[in-house]
Amino acid sequence: MTGVRIGGGNRVPGESAARTEDSQAEDSQIADTRSEDSRAEDARSEGPGQADGIAQHPFGGWAWLRWAWRHLTSMRTALVLLFLLALASVPGSMIPQQGIDPQAVQQYYTAHPALAPWVARLGLFNVFAAPWFAAVYLLLFLSLAGCVIPRTFRLAGSARQQPPRAPRNLSRLPLAARYQTALAPDEALAAAGELLAGKRFRLRTGDGWVAAEKGYLREAGNLLFHLALLALLAAICLGGMFGYKANKLLVVGDSFANTGTDLDAFHPGRLVSAADLQPFTIALSRFDASYLTSGSLRGQPSRFDAFIHYSPQPGAPMRPYSLRVNHPLSVDGVRVFLIGHGYAPVFRVTDGTGHVVFDGPVPFIAVEQAGLTSEGVVKVPDARPRQLGFAGVFLPTAVDVGGRLGSAFPAPLRPAVSLVSYAGNLGMNSGPPQSVYRLDTAGLRRLPVAPRPLALGQSIKLPGGNGSLTFTGYRQWISLAITYDPGTLPALIAGMTALAGLLLSFFIRRRRVFVRATAGQGGRTVVEVGGLARSDASGGFEAEFVTLTGELATAQQGGEPAGSARSPQPGPGSGDGPPALDQTTEEE
Amino acid sequence: MPINYGLANLSHYAFVATVVAYALAVLAFAGDFAFGREVLGQLRPAREPAADLVTVGALAGPAAPRAVPADAGPSEPGGPGAGPGAPDAARGAEVTAPGAGTGAPGGRDTRAMGRWVQVAIALTALGLAAHIVGVVSRGLAVHRVPWGDMYEFVTTVTCVAVAFFFTLMLRYRAYRLGLFVLGPVVILLGLAETVIYTPAGQLPPALQSYWLAIHVTSITLATGAFVVAALFAVVYLLADRHAARVAAGLPTRAGAIFRFLPAPKMIDQLAYRMVVFGFPLWTFGIIAGAIWADEAWGRYWGWDPTETWAFITWVVYAGFLHARATAGWRGRRSAYIQLIGFGCLLFNTIVISLLIKGLHSYAGLS
Ligand code: HEM
Repeated sequence: MTGVRIGGGNRVPGESAARTEDSQAEDSQIADTRSEDSRAEDARSEGPGQADGIAQHPFGGWAWLRWAWRHLTSMRTALVLLFLLALASVPGSMIPQQGIDPQAVQQYYTAHPALAPWVARLGLFNVFAAPWFAAVYLLLFLSLAGCVIPRTFRLAGSARQQPPRAPRNLSRLPLAARYQTALAPDEALAAAGELLAGKRFRLRTGDGWVAAEKGYLREAGNLLFHLALLALLAAICLGGMFGYKANKLLVVGDSFANTGTDLDAFHPGRLVSAADLQPFTIALSRFDASYLTSGSLRGQPSRFDAFIHYSPQPGAPMRPYSLRVNHPLSVDGVRVFLIGHGYAPVFRVTDGTGHVVFDGPVPFIAVEQAGLTSEGVVKVPDARPRQLGFAGVFLPTAVDVGGRLGSAFPAPLRPAVSLVSYAGNLGMNSGPPQSVYRLDTAGLRRLPVAPRPLALGQSIKLPGGNGSLTFTGYRQWISLAITYDPGTLPALIAGMTALAGLLLSFFIRRRRVFVRATAGQGGRTVVEVGGLARSDASGGFEAEFVTLTGELATAQQGGEPAGSARSPQPGPGSGDGPPALDQTTEEE
Repeated sequence: MPINYGLANLSHYAFVATVVAYALAVLAFAGDFAFGREVLGQLRPAREPAADLVTVGALAGPAAPRAVPADAGPSEPGGPGAGPGAPDAARGAEVTAPGAGTGAPGGRDTRAMGRWVQVAIALTALGLAAHIVGVVSRGLAVHRVPWGDMYEFVTTVTCVAVAFFFTLMLRYRAYRLGLFVLGPVVILLGLAETVIYTPAGQLPPALQSYWLAIHVTSITLATGAFVVAALFAVVYLLADRHAARVAAGLPTRAGAIFRFLPAPKMIDQLAYRMVVFGFPLWTFGIIAGAIWADEAWGRYWGWDPTETWAFITWVVYAGFLHARATAGWRGRRSAYIQLIGFGCLLFNTIVISLLIKGLHSYAGLS
């Protein structure tokens, strides 16, 4: 029968790692295709002292150390640690996290008063900063470094390494082909070598064979990926050391400076002190929000514009800037984001003695998004004879739905407030610091005022000689996130490098091709080709091998173009004649 | 811009046509198992070792093991002749690959394309075309990428999954896996059209961002690949158990089906290839999401529940890739790991995005 026979071994290329036991001595050097590490690992799965020449001191401290290190850097440990990392992250998504939603953590304390302290003790409210979480990833990265860095040196050392010798029996390789040519064996081999070298295979020649290997970048890709993960961790640490995050709620007309005391919440990195903050100032002159007025998403915001002025240094001139969602302000590497907005109704409070003891905006916090109904409290500690407190809601577009007050739209089309009034002791001079959004009613008495929403300009007269409150207007506020993270760009570069390494590792196959040529009967030369993919994650070596075999056969026709090849019979199904591949006597 | 309801309707009808075509394809794939004509193994060289070798040949690309007269059963329309990749020199030559087109022990060619398979492939192609029309017209109707809510996500992910599977099926001639991919897809799409159907709508402004579109697109593509990989893993586990029972001489069920499937090792390999495709896409999706988060909130990673689960999913799939290089973890164990990874992915898309309110809640179901 004619031709090229492809076949031989019983392995799945690319699955070559699975092949172990059946390699015979002669081709084991090339066919043992398991990754270096998994091979090394088999040696490692022994106890301390047995692994290598230190067997004489089985329980020496050094032996234990080496044993532990070998285990830590083994593939199996890496696998276990990867699982632990995944598992350790789970509670972070199930239990409220301090860093993401502190209010939910408070609620958890109220809901589970007995459980919560334990949850806190285990660090479960702050999983991603917990020591046990750090232990898992630090071990994993230690293992990573211990595994990858030596491999990097090994790869660098093998940069000039030659391919292994051709095995004697090429038909035992996963892919094999066989054909005859009129060229003499050494001419056939020379032609093969030339073709393979032209395809940038690394070559090695011997008596009657050519060995070729290509795709060293695949290992480099794998190392690049793992090293980039180390770099990513370093970048994250950089941010954790030198970065900071802060929040600021800013009412239209107000300004603030980026100092520890002016900020509402300040989360500095480990090596950041308040003195390190970039000293800029921001003033908010106007805020516009537009909302969709029709359609199923009516009331959804479509645009926010905050018109601010800022100066990078104290004393420097103020510059205008338009702050929008996805359009932060950058000063000195610090970025200021617009992340929220709301209303601050303005109240004027006159106390029982006739003095205006309060006149200003009070930020209320939205409790729902469709109409931006917002809640808040007003505290008037200076009021006499008694301190005054008010708690209530601000309704941008007040409507009465069946006796219940609500807001129909988030824009201030018909603003109103509805308040409950208290008099007594606000409790601000004793006890723990209070939230500005909550009224401690322990020392307060609710005043009997008819519940009636106030429109702009309307007042409540407080009974019992306690004065009055007037709803004089409203302003808007924005909330700003101020972030500084010097690790962001390094992290991005590390992430992209990891991706590039991954792609190299997956889409480059490390493969070996061997050609043997021997004199056959009738002056013909029998050429055998064998192929082996050491790694072929995305597949395709088979197709490449067939193509390559065809090209080799063509190249070895001694200069006769394939088209002129004589053929005994047309190939089945293909219109044109087969090339001058010779009949083999091999009968199947 | 207002929604184009004409296009939205077209999209809906296209999806209905898709479900019908896929359902018929499922019938045809099933019919192949039931009534497909035997391609006898007698044409095989007698000394060709059987089952194990099928793996190699069956995996070979289009160019490889085509041109064997012995192989060219009457039901192989592609006919002999070299594949497109083969150079002239090899064309027409006798090329055999171990197990090319042969028979599992029963003598049936697992890779031949019988009548039923031809019909099934044609129906799948038709369905896929309608599916693509559906996704594209939905996108045109709402003037954005059409994976903004759960309904759109399901219709798009199934489209991607079928497209990936279709390519893989043709490339490796793994036709007989069609039943196991299209079956679940029909059920998912049917559910999408009935239970979670969401009329075309606009996205909230916070979700209108360039990076977000890139992020969700690559996550969607990766999900499509992972869906196919997970289905393959299930088929692999079943086929492998069946093969083990056969080898042990134990009684088996559904032998009529397993006999026609590619060897378990090949199914496993195909599952791995899909993960190899999906994993970099998922990695890129996470990076794009981080870029978006950084632009929107000034931090690239905040451990919100969706982010956390995307990370967990990534780590588990990385574990799968490791397991395949770790002694003692190949085969069934790594298939289980892959399924755990897929479970994390499902948990994220279904439970987390529907139940836990976070910055990522955009399921559009309430
Ligand atoms: C942060 C933890 C790690 C992650 C996320 C990770 C991820 C991955 C991924 C995705 C692959 C497949 C891509 C490729 O083949 O290039 C891979 C392969 C590999 N990893 Fe890791 N890895 C981690 C840690 C480790 C550690 C600690 C070791 C050493 C013990 C290690 C050794 C290897 C080896 C040898 C391969 C190649 C496997 C093969 O030949 O197919 N990795 N890793």
